[in-house]
Amino acid sequence: MPSTWWTRKRHYVTYMLREFTAVPMAAWLLWFLVEIKRAGDGPARYSPHVSTAFVVFSVVCFAFATYHSYTFLKLAGVIMHVRLFDRAVPPRVVVLTMFGLWAVASIAIAAVLIGFAR
Amino acid sequence: MTVEEHLPASRGGRPEGPGGGEHGNKTARRPAYAHLFWWFLFANGGGLTALVLPVHILVQGILGPLRIVPVVDRHYDTWTAIIGNPIVKLYLLVLFALAFFHFAHRLRYLLVDLGVPAAKGTPAQVIFYGGAGLVTLVTLWILLTTVPISLG
Repeated sequence: MPSTWWTRKRHYVTYMLREFTAVPMAAWLLWFLVEIKRAGDGPARYSPHVSTAFVVFSVVCFAFATYHSYTFLKLAGVIMHVRLFDRAVPPRVVVLTMFGLWAVASIAIAAVLIGFAR
Repeated sequence: MTVEEHLPASRGGRPEGPGGGEHGNKTARRPAYAHLFWWFLFANGGGLTALVLPVHILVQGILGPLRIVPVVDRHYDTWTAIIGNPIVKLYLLVLFALAFFHFAHRLRYLLVDLGVPAAKGTPAQVIFYGGAGLVTLVTLWILLTTVPISLG
């Protein structure tokens, strides 16, 4: 099979797009790791990123990361089989719970990142 | 791929995948423990990054640099104060470790899908999961050596 098989159907393209999300997410996390390391440079040499190129890079990574979140959390209804009081929880409820968790985690992390700033 | 492959064929998985073929030949079938282990890391890494990564990128990568909101990593003192917190260090270690095992698993199967069968082999597994292990160790080293642990 040619390596371009996934370009034939829209469904295949979105599938490969979902698989590819790992690349920009890894790239952004590696930048994040460098940013943590730079904190060891001392106050005189530390300066935060402000360049347009960095913001554009982040916007692209944000789009892929959000697509990963949407597809991965939606699949939770298929993968996770939760039983509560001896009854199976409907997949729709599992998915809604995961999206709720996503909202709660996002608000909590944003609160820390912004709340402890000055 | 990834998730569908691990599901039984009756629930949308590949018939020939590890989760498939449930009605097939029952002989010579052993549980794929190594696969299960990598998939456990993959699934948890995928879940954790799905829940927390977009907000990190949005706040630290977009809103902060554009000066729309104040962010901890904009100033040296607030940045080192938060990185010095032991709970934050533990969170970052778990995030980086699980995320990179997730990426390793996904990228290996992305290569398989792009027609690189060698990505299924043991050398590829050593490279990809070894790479994830290396990132985990580097993260641990950075977290332990960059800013001292403090509760202040």
